Amino acid sequence: MLPEMRQMLPEDRRVWRFIGVVALLVALGIPLSVALGVQYDYTLTNVALGGALLGVLCGMTGTFAMLRGQSLLGDALSHAALPGVALAFLLVGREPFALLVGAAATGWLGAQLVGTLTNTTRLKQDAAMGIVLASFFAIGVALLSYIQGRADASQAGLDKFIFGQAAAIVQRDVLMLAAACVLVGATLFAFWKEFKLLTFDPDFARANGYPTRRLNLILSSLIVAVIVLGLQLAGVILMVGLLIAPAAAARQWTRRLEQMIVLAVILGAFAGGSGAVLSAVERGLPTGPMMIVVACSLVLVALLFAPERGVLWQLWQRRTAHQLTKEG
Amino acid sequence: MHGIERLLIEFLLNFATAEQINIFFGDPRNTALLIGALVAFATALCGVFLVLRKMAMTADAISHTVLFGIVAAFLAMLWLGQEPSLSSPLLLLGAAAAGVGTVLLTELIQRSNLVKGDTALGLAFPFLFALAVILVTRYIPNVHLDADSVMVGEIGVAWANTNSHCLANCEPVTITADDPRATVARTCVNCAAEGISPRSPRAAFEETCGNCGTFSAAEAWQRRLISAPPQLVFVPRALLPLGSVSLLNLLFVLFFYKELKLATFDAGLAAAFGFKPALLSYALMILVSLTAVAAFDAVGSILVVAFFIIPAAAAYLLTDRLWLMFVIAPLLGIFAAFTGYEVARTWDISISAAMVIMLFACFSLIWVLSPRYGLLAGLVRRWRQHRQFAEQLLLGHLYNHQRTAEADAECARETLHQHLNWSPRKTAHYLARLQAGRLVQLEAAQVRLTLRGEAVVQAFRTELLAH
Amino acid sequence: MTDQTYALEINDLTVAYQNKPVLWDIDLHVPSGVLMAIVGPNGAGKSTLIKAALGLIPRASGDVRFFGKPLRQARRLIGYVPQRGSVDWDFPTTVQDVVMMGLYGRLGWLRRPGKAEREAAFHALDQVGMANFAGRQISQLSGGQQQRVFLARALVQAADLYFMDEPFAAVDAVTERAIVSLLHTLREQGKTVIVVHHDLQTVTEYFDWVTLLNVEVIGSGATALTFTEENVRRTYGGRIGALPPALNGSTPQREGVYVA
Repeated sequence: MLPEMRQMLPEDRRVWRFIGVVALLVALGIPLSVALGVQYDYTLTNVALGGALLGVLCGMTGTFAMLRGQSLLGDALSHAALPGVALAFLLVGREPFALLVGAAATGWLGAQLVGTLTNTTRLKQDAAMGIVLASFFAIGVALLSYIQGRADASQAGLDKFIFGQAAAIVQRDVLMLAAACVLVGATLFAFWKEFKLLTFDPDFARANGYPTRRLNLILSSLIVAVIVLGLQLAGVILMVGLLIAPAAAARQWTRRLEQMIVLAVILGAFAGGSGAVLSAVERGLPTGPMMIVVACSLVLVALLFAPERGVLWQLWQRRTAHQLTKEG
Repeated sequence: MHGIERLLIEFLLNFATAEQINIFFGDPRNTALLIGALVAFATALCGVFLVLRKMAMTADAISHTVLFGIVAAFLAMLWLGQEPSLSSPLLLLGAAAAGVGTVLLTELIQRSNLVKGDTALGLAFPFLFALAVILVTRYIPNVHLDADSVMVGEIGVAWANTNSHCLANCEPVTITADDPRATVARTCVNCAAEGISPRSPRAAFEETCGNCGTFSAAEAWQRRLISAPPQLVFVPRALLPLGSVSLLNLLFVLFFYKELKLATFDAGLAAAFGFKPALLSYALMILVSLTAVAAFDAVGSILVVAFFIIPAAAAYLLTDRLWLMFVIAPLLGIFAAFTGYEVARTWDISISAAMVIMLFACFSLIWVLSPRYGLLAGLVRRWRQHRQFAEQLLLGHLYNHQRTAEADAECARETLHQHLNWSPRKTAHYLARLQAGRLVQLEAAQVRLTLRGEAVVQAFRTELLAH
Repeated sequence: MTDQTYALEINDLTVAYQNKPVLWDIDLHVPSGVLMAIVGPNGAGKSTLIKAALGLIPRASGDVRFFGKPLRQARRLIGYVPQRGSVDWDFPTTVQDVVMMGLYGRLGWLRRPGKAEREAAFHALDQVGMANFAGRQISQLSGGQQQRVFLARALVQAADLYFMDEPFAAVDAVTERAIVSLLHTLREQGKTVIVVHHDLQTVTEYFDWVTLLNVEVIGSGATALTFTEENVRRTYGGRIGALPPALNGSTPQREGVYVA
């Protein structure tokens, strides 16, 4: 009855083909870098894998964070994780998993506080986020300086947390990131249509009887988990960039959420992996910032060149319209 | 810069001796408190507008990206062959440019309509910050721009980081060969060539001046060339920039108070009056950037965000008057700086972090206790309204149904709670209250409004429908 | 008075924002099979009434039943068309995808929409004259087209009772005609439709049932009997600019301005 509905739309097919080409190019990056003389030793393999996996995680969750208008909440969250790290360290010691749990706990608390402040006062969300991120960060700094027993929180710990310590990644971290990828991916796959509806039209979802509060909680927990995992690689300040840049870039090329998230995952993996490789090639280039620069460059390219949306496309359209009115 | 600092010192000397000034600034506590107070003052003035204009996160972004401006200016100086110094005005220029650049970049991304507002900000500032970090680690490895000082600042050691000014005995001393202070050294001119000892009779000597040259006053004193020491005054380096931005911000607020007020609350009207709200906004962003740079040495870039936002936000919870916010916010910031310092000393923790924690503590107190917008006041008000509302609801229900056909069912005492969807206990409680107020009465098993009750409902309904 | 034939039965519903009543002790009985408009001035609580009935905002008191059942058991019987402005139209999705969202509830957890769902969506789009737009990105739609997509999404829900929040707000003439013909189709199928409406001129023309609302229910019933000048005046208080000619004995005043 409706033959055209049975198959994919030509526009969709075109975008999927584009995504396939991008994926292929990204995959080709590995043999290419080897040919160019990059030596994948134990350390670099771990760092590059870790970066790529983190990029994948960011692509998956950043897509939802961005579409839900929570881009900057990621920033507040990553700052709010600092006191959790310090507290966990005080209570349990240098136990990586405990540090993650601590970070997630205060990060989540910070996000809740932003919500409470916005709901119970006349302050807007931006002020609430500023208050929470600065205060929590200060508490974290104070705790760290207390731990180190000196007036200025010393070079030892803070540096690595703020800028990330990608070079210190070991196999165990990579495995943890991989497990997180599987977990986050499986959750998103299982509740795909619910999350999509919730993000697009929460009122309609509630009217349809979905437990929106619980779904919201699951989705925010995924975002918190990814940020906390990413902190040790990308650092507090840059984490927000890594979270949303792949999604922002992917958004420009696609027209469907399915395509967007797949492309965001690919671009995220590329940004994370190539950032790590680039910093290994040139001595003195820090890994976390390199990932951000690559990711933001991808956004720049997308903003400029994406068909049907990009700046150049808009300019071209405007010119054609202008000429048409001139001729007409 | 040096000249202005000099003028400042000469002004201070009217009130105190050089000795006293040195003792004052030599005390870490005094210097930290003074600098903390200046940071609190300068940031709070900007902060009020930032909070009211919903630009708090923009301030956060700027306080990070000024690092990019500083690094870029630093590299430019290296490239131009200038001696790079962290107190050069070029750095301030770079920082201001970076701040405005962040805002422009964000607006540019927003205007393309391709991503939404907060996403643009979340892309722009990590990008610039990442570039700055890369530039620092790559090109300026040995400079005082490590993560800790960038994020946390070093207010505790500000007293040791000083500029010196000489007041008396400052002339450089030039010693020539005929000067009585000149020392004479004899050197053998042919010893090395002929391989003989200086004691050898064949050795020939030449008399040279051992200390000829020009010495600064301090060097001359060290070498005991002058009898009285030069009189030096040391001032913390952070003082002048912070003092200047404080003054600048104060003047800006004073001069453009009404324009800013209008532009903040009604940008459209301000534009109609020809006030150019966009221009004012950029001016504000420049001031924010300059303030961030000046404060950043003392409290670091994230904690400066706290000083921008928290006092102003707290003031906003206390008052509706703009001018009062400008009074409360700086005072609050200064209070937190002072108490924070003591807390930090007591617990031996980071000073700037302790100041921010005190700020947050003050904010939390105000959040809970503020007479108009506080949580407690809100709870009390809501509880009172809740009670009043429940009574009105019950009265209204009776009023709507008492003369209708289904009155018997709707207003029966036993089943009334079902119609209201209340618990029987709650219904009984409010019925008792209304009965005590003689607004309702019981007739058999029926609840009826009294005449007074009807009057209350009518008055209330008129008010409700009139909005 | 619990009668199974009422499509919507609201008893003693009160809704408050921060304890200020927005809806006040509402009693409303809507028989099944009518096209009903909810009219009232701005801030009268029209949208709030729909949202409270659907459980989207908490109610301070009261009881709502759909075909005699509470909301939880009646969800599958209800279709909802929110206000067009309530979502982000730059969301990366296609028209057909949005329409299929109406079927998610029926699909249940973990199941994905398939061929049957795609065809149902296409059919619904055809009903609102949007079949050619099925593959279109939603950001490329005009306001009226967006509204029709929302209607199609409600249609695939195959509900018996529809709530529509301001579907006629700022739409083009084509869309307005499409909505009206759709409303009539729905009535012929015996469905009940409740529409928040703001244009007094068209109430008698489009709807056979009306509820006049201003915090309280001023009147509710068949349009011919309820939509009287007296009731409209009571609803709008002094804030009525010009009444529709049908109600206004004197000459029509300025056109286009109905409610000041």
